[in-house]
Amino acid sequence: MWGTLVSAIGFGVVLASIIAVAAMGFTIQFGLTNVLNLSFGAVMTVAAFAAYLANRHGVGGWSGLVVGGAAGAVLTLVLGRGVFKAYARRGARLFEMMMVTLGLSLIIDYAIQAISHNNIYQFAVLQSTPLQLGSILITRTQLIIVVISIAILVALQVLLRATKIGKALRAMAADPDLARASGIRTDQIVILTWLLSGFLCGVAGVVYVINSQSVGYTTGQLFLPLVVSAAILGGAGSPVGAVLASLIMGVVTEVVSAFGSAAYSTVAGFGILVIVLLSRPSSVRGGQAGHEQLTL
Amino acid sequence: MTAWSYYISTLAVYFGVNVLSALALNLQFGFAGVVNFGYIIFQSVGAYIAAVVVLGPSSGTFQQYVFGARLPFPIPLLLATAAGAVLSLLIGLFTLRNIRRDYQAAILLILSLIATQVVQGYVPLFNGSNGLTGIARPFSSSLPLPLQDYQWAYAAWGLVLCIVVYALVTWLSRSPWGRALRAMRDQEEAATAIGLNITALRLQVFVIGGAIAGLSGGLLVEYISAWSPDAWGYAETFVIFTAIFVGGVGNYRGVVLGVLLVPILFLELPRFLPQFGYPGLTDSLEWIAIGAIWMICLYVRPQGIVPEKRSIARRREKADSPEAPLTGQMEAA
Amino acid sequence: MHVQKIRIAVVVCVVAACAMTVAVTARGSSASGGKLTVAGVIAITGSSDFEGANQAGGLYPAIYAINAAGGVLGNQVVYKGVDTRGDPADALPAVQQMLATTSNLIAVAGPDTSSAPTIVPVLNSAKVPMMAVAGESVYDRNTAPYFWRLFPPDAANGTAMALWAKRKGYTKVAAVFGTDSGSQGDRPGVIASLKSLHMQLVASVDLTSSQPTYLSSVRKVIASHPQVIMTESDATTAGTFFGEMKQLGGLVPIVGTEATFTSPWLTAVKGALGSAFLKEYTGLITAPSKTTPAVKAYQQAVTAAKKQVPSPWQSYLSNPFSITYYDGMIAVALAMVATHSTKPSVFNNAIPQVTNPGPGKKVVYTFAQGKAALAAGKHIQYIGATGLINFDKYHNSFGNQEAVQSTSSLKPVELGVVTAKQIEAVPVKGA
Repeated sequence: MWGTLVSAIGFGVVLASIIAVAAMGFTIQFGLTNVLNLSFGAVMTVAAFAAYLANRHGVGGWSGLVVGGAAGAVLTLVLGRGVFKAYARRGARLFEMMMVTLGLSLIIDYAIQAISHNNIYQFAVLQSTPLQLGSILITRTQLIIVVISIAILVALQVLLRATKIGKALRAMAADPDLARASGIRTDQIVILTWLLSGFLCGVAGVVYVINSQSVGYTTGQLFLPLVVSAAILGGAGSPVGAVLASLIMGVVTEVVSAFGSAAYSTVAGFGILVIVLLSRPSSVRGGQAGHEQLTL
Repeated sequence: MTAWSYYISTLAVYFGVNVLSALALNLQFGFAGVVNFGYIIFQSVGAYIAAVVVLGPSSGTFQQYVFGARLPFPIPLLLATAAGAVLSLLIGLFTLRNIRRDYQAAILLILSLIATQVVQGYVPLFNGSNGLTGIARPFSSSLPLPLQDYQWAYAAWGLVLCIVVYALVTWLSRSPWGRALRAMRDQEEAATAIGLNITALRLQVFVIGGAIAGLSGGLLVEYISAWSPDAWGYAETFVIFTAIFVGGVGNYRGVVLGVLLVPILFLELPRFLPQFGYPGLTDSLEWIAIGAIWMICLYVRPQGIVPEKRSIARRREKADSPEAPLTGQMEAA
Repeated sequence: MHVQKIRIAVVVCVVAACAMTVAVTARGSSASGGKLTVAGVIAITGSSDFEGANQAGGLYPAIYAINAAGGVLGNQVVYKGVDTRGDPADALPAVQQMLATTSNLIAVAGPDTSSAPTIVPVLNSAKVPMMAVAGESVYDRNTAPYFWRLFPPDAANGTAMALWAKRKGYTKVAAVFGTDSGSQGDRPGVIASLKSLHMQLVASVDLTSSQPTYLSSVRKVIASHPQVIMTESDATTAGTFFGEMKQLGGLVPIVGTEATFTSPWLTAVKGALGSAFLKEYTGLITAPSKTTPAVKAYQQAVTAAKKQVPSPWQSYLSNPFSITYYDGMIAVALAMVATHSTKPSVFNNAIPQVTNPGPGKKVVYTFAQGKAALAAGKHIQYIGATGLINFDKYHNSFGNQEAVQSTSSLKPVELGVVTAKQIEAVPVKGA
């Protein structure tokens, strides 16, 4: 009984780590630009395919993370500065921008489907041996994923709290106009944010397929709701919030799966989102007119 | 030619179902600014309820479901409508409060994914992934009609429902209530300031749309006589939204045209093309095209896929009453 | 107004596209005169898209074999895919469009399980013979005259799995099924058969597809100490689940349904299990009792048609679904030759005449042999690549089931046979 619970919590941490990498990337960008970026999942899929192709050409193992991250960063920057900005210039606001990202994600996802001929490809590159931690039995690879996730969180916190860039980023997220007025080079910060968010998005895509061991055009599509939920739950722009939210969702999912039916586990994870909406509406309260704006 | 008659009559029924959906979404989105990305849930609950009250008590072996009964036409349709309304009320109660609209849309989208997993995971509800089959068509045995004529009769019945709903939503949109909706959509703060209860208004429009959605589900399921989670993927909602974009948000006549163009012509025409590429390529291309239509519509009218209050709202005011006190106030503000 | 113009432009474009398409189709259909069409009513896209690939993998070789032998009564046969997306709502207009626009339609391969309840009556009243793949038990007592099923009912496949596991000495079983419609359709047959054979179900988990990890479910299964896992799910889910199971050191033998013996599933699980795959996985599939010339003919046809067969074409050399479609198509073609008619209403009833065993019948293994024997005035019995075909009065025929392993090139390695008689002897309740 206790063993089951403890191990379910451990598994929840593993699941949370996979979600958290993506959720941190999502929330960093969301907090600054205010774009509810539903094309995030599509970019994850592209990055996962990039890592798969790199692996086919001999760039194996953990360096796939770098390949995926780079692919994600480049694509996200192109979308952010090329596409989203063009729409913002045309006058798109928060809601219209979300629709733009949704349309884009349809295009990218189905383009991948067309190119990949709708097949799935095996990606069993980092299989490892079991590791017994108390009553928790996971694989060494999964432990490394947890470590990567923590490392990213620490790095992000250091970046945001202890560097000039981080201060500028936070200032811009709080009030872009004021930040601009006080001499922050906002353009560079925005570019940096797209790159950072895209890099984490790409890494997340690769982390996901390392664990799921196959890649297909639905990879990111199916994962996106978890990421968006975690980001909304954790509060926009807060990596710590995103990680905590991922932890809650991951642990609930695995505990329900351990004690109840696995089929309901994801439902339970999402259910948390609904409960939070009921109990903590302030985190998602609609802004007063003009307060919430896009920063691109 | 009989085969053509079957095909076209089926499309006519689908047209009716999609028109109902588009009218409901246009009322919610075009007039009240409520983005219902979970629309398909409400259509689906209508379909399931209409199905189980036709199928008779569940035997438990072949298919399992709740509320099994054998009720005569048109009670299943009425129950489907009610089911759509009730579920809308429940979901609306917590998603429609003062939440950013992009959040709201994302949450409804996530809810429609959860709904699929609930139905798949909990088999005793509506027979899980395998879905419900063998739902009898109304009067299929008692009407003295050959099948071909029955199909057309059913399509006509669908169109009658469309006309009734069309009259209802246009009347609602022109009523003072409809003007309040537009005021809320265009100037939320000002609308609150003059004493409109925003949450109540949103909930009302959400429930009315949900009822229409339920009706459309009932109409569809009684025709195809089967319903399963594969029939209501979250993406189906996007097709209807695309129809609304193409037809013109807030414009009921345009939306009907949009339904004719997108879910009917655009998605049926590729069937006539000779097969090219690998099987399934056409399907991918269709979705890419739908994404592209979104992108183009948004690029052409970025400030408002939600219609400008000065264009459409004004035109409508002119059409029905010169006073338009509420919107007049808004525009002065 | 700007927007108005664009909207009009869109409408004009669509109408123009419409007219062009109709023109193209009109020309296309007149050009294809003299050709017989077999339509595949199956999920080509959507979550069950592998069904379409399985079908194309068998139908193209069949059509190749038929056309290479001079066609049917001088007509060439062509294939037309009709996408159901695994959903009756999508299937209905697709099938009606196909009926309206296809001249010389001789048969349908399909419909699939999910669209069958809606589509079977439509095709039956249009008098189109269908070689269905619907495993549901309702069709065990089918009465639609144009419905034929060469596939075992789901329950039969489940019973074969249970019988095989029992023969191997396993009594403690874990059931691992996806929540998708294919897997859930096959699950009851497996569970009911386990009960009938008094085997112990120590764990039963349902997996929501494509989650990043299934650790809790894996632990649950490992902790229940099963001797064997009976399973079906989509490929991605299976890859993740069994990959984690293997890495955690809890792998036990896996017995899969017929649907697991298809290339996406095998590819994903082979990747996840590595070298353990050949040892631990067994699939129960429709199979011939012994290698006949028909199997060889089938494999030659696949090789010859490899440009049309989906990739990787080698995987269809042994795909049980593809083989079954191939047999169904050959049987239909032989029935047409036997009745000198391409009219379904004429040749439909003759399908059992060319397949079922009977006194004085000449056994044939290929379309070419059958055609020659019929031309010589003989009665024939087609023994297919799936073995003996014997349609009962409900238009069902299912033969033996074979337990197979899969090599790294996805070739089957025969382990043993569960005969149709053994399967029928198990009283399965509720199925």
